[in-house]
Amino acid sequence: MFGPFRLTNPLSGGLLWKIPWRLSSHQKYRHRNRLRAVDSVVSTLDRALARQGESMKKMDRWKVEMPTEQEMLPKDKYTVFDRKVKRYRKGIHKVPKWTKVSQRLNPPGF
Amino acid sequence: MSYFRITLMRSGIGLPEKTQGVLKALGLRKRMTTVYYPVSQSVAGQIMRIKELVDVKEVKHAMTKDQMRAARRPDPGYYVERRGVEEMKEL
Repeated sequence: MFGPFRLTNPLSGGLLWKIPWRLSSHQKYRHRNRLRAVDSVVSTLDRALARQGESMKKMDRWKVEMPTEQEMLPKDKYTVFDRKVKRYRKGIHKVPKWTKVSQRLNPPGF
Repeated sequence: MSYFRITLMRSGIGLPEKTQGVLKALGLRKRMTTVYYPVSQSVAGQIMRIKELVDVKEVKHAMTKDQMRAARRPDPGYYVERRGVEEMKEL
């Protein structure tokens, strides 16, 4: 009845992992902070290299392609494209390791 | 000459081997480790690989491990006016 091996729905076989379909407002807040932290790292690198008169291919591509946190739409911040989901969007918190990967772009046309 | 001060804020556990390899190559073994590297393209490229995990600042001077330790040490709350050894020499 009690203890670590009690019979609950998630434990009694089957996949019943309840991940809410949308992010909470606090998750969104922390996610925005993480996006901004990545932006600041990239801008620091860019400024440091520019001061030495150097540039980097990877950096140039990032600056052209990737929007900053402020330029992103809420839709792109909190959801990602998924071809298997109805209406092609799912919450970004369903992406594996979503707090440690940069996922900001959509495939063309979406 | 300026340096990158790189601090590992988030661990690389569970990330691809390549990412963890970059952390190892930069000498970031544990969270909150700080390393200094001169500003260069190759280091910047390595940081780009791990940009979600680290905090990067550009600083004028690199600090050694001992200097970082000394900077963390709190103020002892006293200062030495005279040392007994010197007093004894005078006598």
